[in-house]
Amino acid sequence: MIQLTHVSKTYPSQICALSDVTLEISDGEFTFLTGPSGSGKTTLLRILYCAERPTSGEVIVNGTHITEKGFRKIYQLRRTMGIVFQDFKLLRDRTVGQNIAFALEVTGHPPKEVKKKVSEILHRVGLQAREEDAVLSLSAGEQQRVAIARALVNDPPLLLADEPTGNLDDPMAGEVMQILGHLHHLGTTILFATHDTDLILRYPYRVIHLRGGRSVENAP
Amino acid sequence: MAFFLRFVMRRAFQNMTGNLLSHLTTIAIIGISMLIFSSFSLIAFNLTSFLKVWEEKIEIIAYVKKGVASSDVEGLYKKIRQFEGVEAVRYVSSGDAMAFMELKLGHQKNLLDGIQPNILPSSFEIRLVKDFRNTDRIKGIVAQLRQLPQIDEIQYGQEWVETFLTLAHLFRITQWVLGGLLLMGIIFITFNTLQLTISSRKEEIEIMHILGASPAFIQVPFCIEGLIQGVVGTALAILLLFYLHYEVLLYKVFFLYITPSMKEWLAGVPILFLPPESIALILLGGMVLGLLGSFVASMRFLNYQV
Repeated sequence: MIQLTHVSKTYPSQICALSDVTLEISDGEFTFLTGPSGSGKTTLLRILYCAERPTSGEVIVNGTHITEKGFRKIYQLRRTMGIVFQDFKLLRDRTVGQNIAFALEVTGHPPKEVKKKVSEILHRVGLQAREEDAVLSLSAGEQQRVAIARALVNDPPLLLADEPTGNLDDPMAGEVMQILGHLHHLGTTILFATHDTDLILRYPYRVIHLRGGRSVENAP
Repeated sequence: MAFFLRFVMRRAFQNMTGNLLSHLTTIAIIGISMLIFSSFSLIAFNLTSFLKVWEEKIEIIAYVKKGVASSDVEGLYKKIRQFEGVEAVRYVSSGDAMAFMELKLGHQKNLLDGIQPNILPSSFEIRLVKDFRNTDRIKGIVAQLRQLPQIDEIQYGQEWVETFLTLAHLFRITQWVLGGLLLMGIIFITFNTLQLTISSRKEEIEIMHILGASPAFIQVPFCIEGLIQGVVGTALAILLLFYLHYEVLLYKVFFLYITPSMKEWLAGVPILFLPPESIALILLGGMVLGLLGSFVASMRFLNYQV
């Protein structure tokens, strides 16, 4: 699903975020990407969803060589993945249902399908009763569940999560992990960036540790 | 495609109603800019029609020598009519000239009592085609007229014509330069206003990028909004200008404060509103301005990569 070969990223300010990272994540795998702040977790995820280009190396996501010269269809690649952020990135002036529907509308789904899919996904994340509520009236944990629902509503084979539990307390983080665990069970590939070592220890998933921009396998 | 159109239209209207204040501000700024531009166009249009009327008045008067037989007048008329650049020729007989003089004198026409009716010379009033209404061409026709032995004196108000034509030329250059500068200023202001409106929705655009929206899904609603703002702003500007033109300028200023002598001087030169084709052009301009302004302003937000 994800393949990085000798990937490096140096910012114009000469800060080296990633240095010669080579890793592979198979289809359906749940992987924790961990490391201290500034270790390059977010940069790696941003490269995977094409918000940034690596300085060198090759990246293949879902069979697409995204580092190839002339690769332009970033929006098509993003439709094959769901992305979840620590700060949720929800439209604060809309309802729960509208936020999720937005993901389908901007990717060209007809209104009937939008309605059906929104209802289904809200049921899956346990928020069916909150569809008409404004997102700001929800707790942080519920808002993150809305963000996850929005990321999953297009049934993407890959989910990238950048510190999705970073703003949540333990019970709320547990709820999010439960949803992601179920999703993994259904076959979605998940790359979960976090610096929370306690959380990692609680789950039996693969861990990739980043230190100083270099990757070290299975080292919490 | 139908779904795409429905989505972008709905989104454009949702955005406009959701950010009403910012959109009203944009419409107001476009409206004020277009009001300035259409006011300038209105002034330029009226001054141009004023110049046209005065240009029509440029003519040559060729006085016929005394003693030329009436039978020769017809031949002379035909000869002058065939000169290149002559649009129309009118023969004014000695009697016609006297009748005109009496008319001009009005109540004081008794001043002419005792004067021989044929004291005034007969003449030809020669009107020129548009391309010949300039000093060089006029001098060319005057030279041809001087070749005719039956013609005595020739008048065309040389100084007046030269001054008028220079002023008209200067005005036309000023009109283009000022109009161009004004248009550039309006494009700059509109572009910046639209960019500010779009910038305020940066977060929403970022979310659309993350969700995999295509550039068309992101950009087209902004273009529709820009187009609507351009049309509404311009239409309001024209309506306001129409009101100012008829209610304020014509009835409150022109008819109340313009002196009778000025009215007489202006006689035959009506103060007009912009013609329908100019209104359509200005509306189209406002529409294109809003559309292109939004298109260019939204381009910088279409970069999916940082």
